[in-house]
Amino acid sequence: MNPHPQRVLRMSYIVASVAGVAFFVMSVALLGWWPKRVLDEQTRAMGPPYVLPLSESARRGRVVYSREGCAYCHTQQIRYLHSDMTRFGAPTLAWETRLDYPHLWGTRRIGPDLTRAAFTRSADWHFAHLFSPRAIVPASVMPAYPALFDGEPDRPRQEARDLVAYLETLGRARELAAPEGEARAREACNCPDDEMALMAFDGALNTHPARARRTREAPALPRSEDLARGRLLYGEHCATCHGATGQADGPGIRGLSPAPANLAEHEYSTERVAEVLWNGVSGAAMPAWRDHPPADLAALAAAVRSMSRVQPNPPVPETLVELGARVYRENCVQCHGDEGGGDGAAAAQLPMAPTNFNRQRPSLDRTLRILRNGIEGTPMAPWTSRLSDAELIAVAHHVRGYYERASAVPSNIRR
Amino acid sequence: MGLSTGESDRLVETRLVHAHGIAALVTLLVSATFGIIVALQLLWPELGRDIAWLSWGRLRYAHTQGIMLGWLGNAFLAFLYHGVPILTGRPVTSRTLGAWIFGLWNFAVMAPGWILVLAGISQPLEWAEFPLVVDAFVVLALVLAAVQFLPCFFARGIESLYVSSWYILGGLVFTLLSYPMGNIVPEMVAGASGAAFSGLWIHDAVGLFVTPMALAIIYFVIPAALRRPIYSHFLSMLGFWLLFFLYPLNGTHHYVFSVIPMAAQVGAIAASTLLGVDVLIVVANLFLSMRGSGFVPRDLGLRFVGTGTFFYLIVSVQGASQAQMAVNQAVHFTDWVVGHSHLAMLGFASFAAAGGLVHAWQRIAWARYNARALTWAYWLITAGIVIMFVDLTIAGLIQGRMWADGTPWIESVRATRPYWVVRALSGIPLAGGFIALLLGLTTGPRGAGLREVERSIGAEPIDEIGPRLAPAAAVEVS
Repeated sequence: MNPHPQRVLRMSYIVASVAGVAFFVMSVALLGWWPKRVLDEQTRAMGPPYVLPLSESARRGRVVYSREGCAYCHTQQIRYLHSDMTRFGAPTLAWETRLDYPHLWGTRRIGPDLTRAAFTRSADWHFAHLFSPRAIVPASVMPAYPALFDGEPDRPRQEARDLVAYLETLGRARELAAPEGEARAREACNCPDDEMALMAFDGALNTHPARARRTREAPALPRSEDLARGRLLYGEHCATCHGATGQADGPGIRGLSPAPANLAEHEYSTERVAEVLWNGVSGAAMPAWRDHPPADLAALAAAVRSMSRVQPNPPVPETLVELGARVYRENCVQCHGDEGGGDGAAAAQLPMAPTNFNRQRPSLDRTLRILRNGIEGTPMAPWTSRLSDAELIAVAHHVRGYYERASAVPSNIRR
Repeated sequence: MGLSTGESDRLVETRLVHAHGIAALVTLLVSATFGIIVALQLLWPELGRDIAWLSWGRLRYAHTQGIMLGWLGNAFLAFLYHGVPILTGRPVTSRTLGAWIFGLWNFAVMAPGWILVLAGISQPLEWAEFPLVVDAFVVLALVLAAVQFLPCFFARGIESLYVSSWYILGGLVFTLLSYPMGNIVPEMVAGASGAAFSGLWIHDAVGLFVTPMALAIIYFVIPAALRRPIYSHFLSMLGFWLLFFLYPLNGTHHYVFSVIPMAAQVGAIAASTLLGVDVLIVVANLFLSMRGSGFVPRDLGLRFVGTGTFFYLIVSVQGASQAQMAVNQAVHFTDWVVGHSHLAMLGFASFAAAGGLVHAWQRIAWARYNARALTWAYWLITAGIVIMFVDLTIAGLIQGRMWADGTPWIESVRATRPYWVVRALSGIPLAGGFIALLLGLTTGPRGAGLREVERSIGAEPIDEIGPRLAPAAAVEVS
């Protein structure tokens, strides 16, 4: 037996105490300092030489985002998981966060991740949604932030503008770096066997997969007769803006410019609905819905098409036909294209795509109203100072004619 | 064999025990109110729409900081004023210093901290939401607490320190070390690297502040209430050192599947697994020490800490499992984790803190004590946390499932609503329990606690409790 058990015990406690402090230091070194070194090195090797800093307004917006606890429901960290990547885009790389003081990664997702949220929604949409989330998304549990507004969603205060300016920077660095940036990162990654790191460069996935985009490409939707399902989905997702009966009179329209489409006053081809659901409407508040299953989108398209109350074209006198064609040729082709396809020479320069009349037909009444008043929030201007009443009526009939002409079968069967 | 008031006052600063106890209960009620409002806001998001400081995010900040610093912080300080003099046989450094610490903690940390985060001045870091200016006072108060309590322990040799003393020493020292790391470093280290440090603090706040203090209370109350030494001093020390070695190495398990180096993630997951094993050792020792007193001991302090020990077992085994990649993948970011953290802070830590308060109250001859209210408090809080935990765990599994199978996001919010209803309803027994706890310690006849102890196992002088809480005495007894 040891003659001095007390001393042995004391010594072992002293050793353990030193070891305890050493373990704490080790934890900071191994799980804080060392990862920082690795991440700094990764940032240097994989990131672009410069990352654009936040503008003054976006910086203030970040403060609003921080103080309101946005990060406690919206993470800014996409994990190396299939489920995260398909929903939110490529996993977060270290260099993307190099200006984040402090980080806003978050620990809980009640709402979606916002790492690449920039331009998935328009500024209008954000204002309307921040002012009253449930006016846009009925099932949302997000708090409303009326304090950022002067009483109306279209009267944002500077703080609301700052916050939206910040939201529009989310994911910007990664997007600006690509595709050269992706190639550079992949090369510098030096991770031939690290499956997880490689997932970050799987394809050109460097923006939000559900971002609205200005393209007409959309996969054909399956045929759907499930009007009940479509109407249910419409009620849940669309009615807040487009209105219960499609008349664009939902609670969410305040502040949206351009106003949401009036579905009752338009007749849409299935391709057009598919294109909009798939890509959103770039330049307007309509987001893309391609994160929803194709069968649901097809049912939704059927529901949307069923809302149209547009009458077929009445027969018009030959003179009017000729006048309409001439007026169109002289005034409209620049934007709407020779054949009404929305693909005129100037179309690409415009902030949003001009209407393709081959895929949608507004009611006569609506066409005339647009010709007389223009469409607020779009490049479409009023034409009353340039065209006479007769010319307006003629060109209205003309543009409405494209829809039927574009399809081989009459509209009552297509519907 | 009574515990005379004079004797108790000679060593134990009962006024400070009482003051911190009351402050703890008041901040508990305030923090719980914040929690109940945010739970209701998930059901009625328009609640408090026009009042900026009542918005969800700010209340959420105030809720967790209030629970950790206000309720648990005050309750731990109350226990320290009771426990440290008994453990060491020496009074704390200074009564005046005690008044300063009390004032700092409640009027330079809690009150301004709450006011600032509700006014929108805060930092968006989990468990670190109070702004930097408040952090300065937290650190100052922690330094003063070290001055207040630590010298007592070094009066006698460290070889005769009881495990509670070790936990208190470790808790005070490591909280002081890790607090600035979690609260200040992420402001200076950007993005992913900052998150690595945050991860450390998220875990250390629970592991190096809350857990050691809660275990110090549990290890103290069981032998003091049962008048019998703990089952094994060896296991108690084994558990203590393993905990202090392993706990700090867990942090990165909050960021599994992130860009933080995989080696750090895997290391943290391994440490989390080992920590689960360590908790089995600690809990086995505690339950063996309680053997014979039944599932629901008659002594209310013991009843609270016993149930807290049970929750500690569940939450730790759960924690070790959810750190594993396969589980983490399914439950991370969901309500499962919210359930887990409530089981840790409300199940384990709050039961230990309440047990410590009740135990200390029973031994203040002039303190009011209402056993009926405390019994109600025990059952109501137990019912509330069990309902909330089970409910949120199921909700988390459902959310994780829906996220993984590509369901549109809003569907997961819609599907959660019934579970959020149940969670909000669990606030009824919880609020009732917290009020009953406050009533239990502020109403009833003065000295009723002491009389109850005398009627059951008999109160004993401090001089007799102290030696039993030392390893040397244990050797003699066995």
